[in-house]
Amino acid sequence: MTGPEADSKADWKAEWQPVIDAVGRDFAPETRMGADAVERGAIRRYLEPLELDCALHTDPEAARAAGFADVTMPYTGVVAWTIPPMWRPGERLFDSADRDAQPVRSPINNQEMTLGPKTTGFFATDIALDFLRPVTAGERIGRRSNRLLSCTPKETSVGRGAFLKWESDIVTEDGEVVARIRIGTYAYVPKTEGDE
Amino acid sequence: MKYEDVTVGEELAEVEYPLNVYRLVMAAGANRDFNSIHHNSEYARRTGAQEMYANTSFLLGAWERCVRDWMGEEGTMRAIRDFRMKAFNYAGETMWVRAHVAAKRLEGETGVVEVAIRCENGNGITVGPGVVEVVLPRRTEGLK
Repeated sequence: MTGPEADSKADWKAEWQPVIDAVGRDFAPETRMGADAVERGAIRRYLEPLELDCALHTDPEAARAAGFADVTMPYTGVVAWTIPPMWRPGERLFDSADRDAQPVRSPINNQEMTLGPKTTGFFATDIALDFLRPVTAGERIGRRSNRLLSCTPKETSVGRGAFLKWESDIVTEDGEVVARIRIGTYAYVPKTEGDE
Repeated sequence: MKYEDVTVGEELAEVEYPLNVYRLVMAAGANRDFNSIHHNSEYARRTGAQEMYANTSFLLGAWERCVRDWMGEEGTMRAIRDFRMKAFNYAGETMWVRAHVAAKRLEGETGVVEVAIRCENGNGITVGPGVVEVVLPRRTEGLK
């Protein structure tokens, strides 16, 4: 391939070079806590769409009989309960009445990545989790560190972007590590009509 | 469920999830993944998808439910590996979580079981196949 088409292909991948160069960097060395402490009502709502029926998550007596201080968070809740708040007092979350307008700021769409091309498409591709112990209602958890492990630019059926792999510890407010997470994401510029 | 009761190769009960907008909106509200691709069909289509699709926490939770239904309250989850998205799980489809016991071993006195697990729809595997590693109590525990 030669000419403009080849140049274009080379250019979009080259835009990711600053991210590739940053592999190994910790983008969030400070601990960022989830928006809320784990609590019974939020656990119940987490269970509902899953229809996940386990007394450890719903019955404090059953949880205590099993040796826990209160009901336990489903293990997979380490993702949900470490998401920072969407909004904080004094901030404006939405500034447009457009039907599909996006929030001014969101903790889950790669906006905090300051390197590389601007992307508007974003989804998780793979996850690995190690659980060190269950988390119980009343505890608050967050993520410590967000180390970039890899960056691989690639064009897919949905657009041009890069596969990114990140690693974090899940910690309590006291700094105890309760889980570890490695998450892969694909950040991309969606194809538009007319793109091949 | 005790470690000694587990047979390598045994199938876990399948979990069926009809995926509809209602469920996916409930999931987004509960697990705080408000990325519009998970609750807004028009937005999702503009990002290259065919429809809005289930979010990561929901799919992880679907694996947890399948394993929890099988192992009961006494089991503990130790790890999830190879949770890979192969295809989107769209609203309007039915998703099944299917799993079987892939391996079991003793680590000292600890009974460890590896469950091979995946999500499927009518076209095949959408997530995984991966592994959920659990620890189950021993039948001999409590007799010492």
